[in-house]
Amino acid sequence: MSEIKPILSALTRSKTGAILLVMQIAITLALVSNAMSIVADRAEKINQTTGYDEQGIISYTLLTYDKDTDIPKQFKEDIRQLKALDGVIDVLAVSSIPLSRSGGSRTLSTDPEEHSGKNADSGYIRANHHIISTLGLTINEGRDFTQSDVIYGRNGDYPSVGIVSRAVADKLFGQGNGLNETVYNGDDAFKIIGIIDTLKSQWPRSNMGNSLIFLPIEEAQTYQKFIVKTTPQKRAQVMKQIEPLLLDLDRGRVVMNIKGLDKSKADTYAGDTLMIRMLIAIVVFLVIITALGIFGLTHFNISKRTKQIGTRRALGARKSAIFKYFLLENLMVTALGVVIGGVGALVLGRELMGHYSVPPLETSAILITAGMMLLMSFIAVYSPARRAANISPSVATRSI
Amino acid sequence: MLLHYCDLAWRNIRQTPFISVLMIIAIGIGIGVTMTTLSVYHMKSADPIPNKSAQLHALQLQIMDDGQTWRTPDNLPQQVTYKDAMYLLENSPLEKKVAMFKSGAAIHLDKPDSVPFIKDVRVTSRDFFDMFDMSFLYGNVWSEAQSEQAAPVVVISEVLSQKLFGRKNALGESVYLGDRRYEVVGITKKWRPAVKFYDVNNSAFDPAEEVFIPLSHAKAYQVSSWGNTNGWKNEEINSREQFLNSETVWLQFWVELNSASEKAQYGQFLLDYMREQQELGRFNRKELAYNLQPVTQWLKYNHVVSADNKILVGLSFMFLAVCIANILGMLLAKFLKRAPDAGVRRALGASKRQIFYQHLVEVAILGLLGSVVGVVLAQLGLAGIRESKSGYELIATMDWQMLLISPLISILACLIAGLFPAWVVCKTSPATHLKIQ
Repeated sequence: MSEIKPILSALTRSKTGAILLVMQIAITLALVSNAMSIVADRAEKINQTTGYDEQGIISYTLLTYDKDTDIPKQFKEDIRQLKALDGVIDVLAVSSIPLSRSGGSRTLSTDPEEHSGKNADSGYIRANHHIISTLGLTINEGRDFTQSDVIYGRNGDYPSVGIVSRAVADKLFGQGNGLNETVYNGDDAFKIIGIIDTLKSQWPRSNMGNSLIFLPIEEAQTYQKFIVKTTPQKRAQVMKQIEPLLLDLDRGRVVMNIKGLDKSKADTYAGDTLMIRMLIAIVVFLVIITALGIFGLTHFNISKRTKQIGTRRALGARKSAIFKYFLLENLMVTALGVVIGGVGALVLGRELMGHYSVPPLETSAILITAGMMLLMSFIAVYSPARRAANISPSVATRSI
Repeated sequence: MLLHYCDLAWRNIRQTPFISVLMIIAIGIGIGVTMTTLSVYHMKSADPIPNKSAQLHALQLQIMDDGQTWRTPDNLPQQVTYKDAMYLLENSPLEKKVAMFKSGAAIHLDKPDSVPFIKDVRVTSRDFFDMFDMSFLYGNVWSEAQSEQAAPVVVISEVLSQKLFGRKNALGESVYLGDRRYEVVGITKKWRPAVKFYDVNNSAFDPAEEVFIPLSHAKAYQVSSWGNTNGWKNEEINSREQFLNSETVWLQFWVELNSASEKAQYGQFLLDYMREQQELGRFNRKELAYNLQPVTQWLKYNHVVSADNKILVGLSFMFLAVCIANILGMLLAKFLKRAPDAGVRRALGASKRQIFYQHLVEVAILGLLGSVVGVVLAQLGLAGIRESKSGYELIATMDWQMLLISPLISILACLIAGLFPAWVVCKTSPATHLKIQ
């Protein structure tokens, strides 16, 4: 370690190169650690399990504009014909599609007077008793709907039972409670007969992302959404058949938005996916630029000192001493950059968190990035330092 | 002299092709990343209707009871009820005001070969076109009388006219919205605001609607909303009549206010109206509140530029700073290597200042070349964003302002990087370099 002093005095003589290196390393560290922290957070959100059989479900919307159509009757026939297709397991009308960012929500309460009870905002889906199995869900506590629970049409009647997500039950009745309790929605009320642990609403990115209830109401509207459950192998094939088949049965309507549930989910998270891609692109380019910069600057710093190196060698320094000198010098500069960058990363992380809803920056993110920076600068300095060590002592004596 | 410097610079760049190309790539990548994120930010934050944005105001009324909250910072809902919209349309002292909502329909011609397709429809009162500067190619907006009688009349865009009838002038033709026949009374010119500022509540980055029908159809034909419909109160709603009379908020309301005094007067009118309604048991709260926000403020209030956009722009500029540091290093190496040339020129009578400028010209040329690479990269980046199908189809483009600003940022970045190296070169005394040779 006796070399630290001469390195320091050499560095103070040609500060520019070192300052530039420190600056690049510091900014890169601050930027990369924050970017990767945001990427990790978004990726985690996207990869959360939804509970649904995403690969087996198709959704579509039917707009019936022909006023002469007997809609309930036509839907029955549609469903009968769709079920006859190869690969189709079940078809049913739903009031909205999970994960699709559209649908209805309600404030539920433990008391008929909203103000006096505990409240929970939740998305809701109205469909018949097939809904739970069609979506590929399992009831963790209580029972599934039966046909006798189902109410047909929307003429003011309200079902007496409902199935809720664990998040809704917990919010209303406390951790682990809720089964057989009564939930109020204004003047209407239903009893919780089933609870599902893992369930995402129509708005998985919102604060009611885990809050969803199912109500056993079967509807037949002019603007009606449907879900089709298929075997995953046949889904693509079924998807192509839906529109022609439905239009053959009745011309007075339009079939819209035929898509897989996995596609609905991807669309909902498209903004996050885009953010991840943009951040990764920035990080990759930045790492390339910084690596080139470190390499170039080290190279330049060494080539400027060719004669000094030759002189040292002529005065008896070993090759390994020269090699070690440059590695150590680089390490010192990088370490300074990493320290400044680490502080910068914390400051940047705090700023971002203060202004926008980003997760707190984990110290581990900074440490990992710092480790990568050290490794990168070691790789960048290795070959120039090797070359320096191989400078012949005669160089020193030749051109002066 | 500048030409001479350019010539010298170009020779120097060609003499050291490798390092020059490296520098151009480095600044190019920096500019590419920065311009990609900046273009998106610019398109989102740009004033969508510059000559009228200060006059057009979005109206909000605090309809909710005390204690109720909303997702806006001041708890005011972004939309209004049907009841209030109708009253304000009919009784307002203002000349120009519009109430509207988003709907949709199956569009077809009721012919065997006409396949119906779904289009968004804007259901609106008459002033929409005038207020938002939409001009007509043929025909005009429906008349007051047609509006009152809920006549089946429709205004469509030239693009839709071309698609349906194969020509731009389809005045007097019939088009079906669902099973109702409409007469085309107006064809609008192409209109593509990057942000659908008049209804940011329902997919702010969707293209503007191309089909417009009178607001009176909401009641007459039960045309329903395809947009955000928010009920905040528990009310029994089992019929259309009940829905229209409910406290549900689902319409957008805009007014044109030409002066501060007009704004104050209108505000007083709103307060008077709300007080009047309080006697009927509505606006059940201690303090009445309303909002009249001009366009750009409205876009901010609704977070049209998302946090992600801002973060990306910030990070891109940090990225650009790294690129500048990088180029600074390379320029230093390059200029120092060529310091003997500068020494000779100094010895032959060039002043320090001239050497300094000559090097800066060289740097600026690198910046200009880098911006070409940068713009190409940014176009690729923007194309990638458009492809991502995240509602950025109209937003992720580079307008001429961004195109012009790219070389400026690039040259500026390079000049910042070049100042120090150029200064180092010009201050070296000619003697040191001459000696060696």
